[in-house]
Amino acid sequence: MEESKQHLLENLLEDTSFKNWVYKRNRNDVTFWNKWIDVNSDYAETVFTARDIILGINFKDNTLEPEFIENKLNDVLSKINTNNTITDIPRKKSTASKYILAAVGFFIATLLIVFYNFQENKTYVVQKTGFGETINLTLSDGTTVVLNGNSELQYEIENPRNVMLQGEAYFKVKSKPSTKAKFWVTTNDLKVEVFGTHFNVNTRDEKTKVLLDEGSIQLELKNGSRKKMKPGEIATYSNKSDLFSHEIINSKLDYSFWREETFVFNNISLLEVMHYLENSYGVTTEFKDEKSKKIMLTGGIPNGNLNICIKAIEKSAGIKIDHIDDNLLIITN
Amino acid sequence: MSLNNEEIIWSLFLQGDTNAFSLLFKKYYSPLYNYGIKLCSNTCVTEDCLQGFFVYLYENRNTIGEVKNIKAYLFISFRRTLFSALKKERNFTDLNSDTQNSSNFEFSPEELKIHQEISFAQTSSITLILNTLAPREREVIYLKYYGALSMSEIASTMDISYQSVLNTLQKAFSKIRKTIENNMLSAILKK
Repeated sequence: MEESKQHLLENLLEDTSFKNWVYKRNRNDVTFWNKWIDVNSDYAETVFTARDIILGINFKDNTLEPEFIENKLNDVLSKINTNNTITDIPRKKSTASKYILAAVGFFIATLLIVFYNFQENKTYVVQKTGFGETINLTLSDGTTVVLNGNSELQYEIENPRNVMLQGEAYFKVKSKPSTKAKFWVTTNDLKVEVFGTHFNVNTRDEKTKVLLDEGSIQLELKNGSRKKMKPGEIATYSNKSDLFSHEIINSKLDYSFWREETFVFNNISLLEVMHYLENSYGVTTEFKDEKSKKIMLTGGIPNGNLNICIKAIEKSAGIKIDHIDDNLLIITN
Repeated sequence: MSLNNEEIIWSLFLQGDTNAFSLLFKKYYSPLYNYGIKLCSNTCVTEDCLQGFFVYLYENRNTIGEVKNIKAYLFISFRRTLFSALKKERNFTDLNSDTQNSSNFEFSPEELKIHQEISFAQTSSITLILNTLAPREREVIYLKYYGALSMSEIASTMDISYQSVLNTLQKAFSKIRKTIENNMLSAILKK
């Protein structure tokens, strides 16, 4: 028990979803962890300790007076300089080193410019994540993108507002009201046209799924037709099968999506949930019996860490998952 | 571009640029000073030591190896300098005390930022509880939340393992949690 608490504590301190709960940043995470504490009351103390460690004691910023520091600095500088003037040789050395320093400084500056030019010539920026890895990006226009595991985002360096996506990402597009500059996300199936909003795009399984949280966006499908989306809607289109669906999220609708490092499911089968893990973490899953595939799940699962993810699924589905290397074996209790 | 500002300043300092050195001095004097006071509770010793430390740093910049984290490096080196100075002093005054790690590390009520309306008496009692922690626990808490060092930086500063930093933090907070009321605890936590 003690050991598992210790282990839990270590995981919690690293877990983004847990931190979201601590800082009350994400509603799904808050709900998830509140529920989790209710169910796992044995671990409540560990959870609260973890929260305290993350928050920490609030000390006053005890900065000294600038004049005081300035005085101390002058003391030190005079010591350094007098040390140099005592003997003649180091002084000469120091003038020589000044030239060297200037040369080095110039060299560094040139290097930076060359590097900068080199960057300019390179037309595309590619951001790629491995399995189980998510990255937070801020594009040069201020748009933030959270790239989920096993995904790729590509754009021209001069034009960060036209990106190509494979995999899954959550976008918070910075609006440019003065120029009304648009933002585009292009996938194999469609193009999302945006002014400034928050939305999720997923291109897995030969279709593109777009979930809109805020603002409004327009989709331009590969077949040429255009569709407008409102907040709280999910649209799915596959270029291969030319199937389009457009729905409003409500509790009756079965849906799943990923947002700020949380998987959110509403009435989704365990089979699909495990498929989600396969895509994001590069694991394979195996069901010991067919029955458990049909267990339906609803709720949010933190996805910063595969082990925590597995624990959460085990709890909510009432199953056991054996995690051996990259294989997950699902056993019904 | 992976070069960050601080690294550029550091490399200029290593080349002998006194402006870069001054920038580092201004940035780190306060946190090192406060840390020093905590370690030895003596302003004179801290100021002298800090002056010697910065002079030494500048003059021996050529012997400094690769530094991954500038802040942690300064904390580690300053801690070492201060302790060796204290040890020297102690050798003159008191030969039998070899108490390198028995630093006081007392917290005072004035140091805490309080969220809610909470009486001075209550603040003092919180400080009392904080001060019942082992000195090592207090130092970890101080480095983490005042110095904003990461766990691994604290580990190398205090020359202990990452795991024991984590355990110490955990122990400290469970102790606090057991003795302090919930609303009082949340009043001194960062939010």
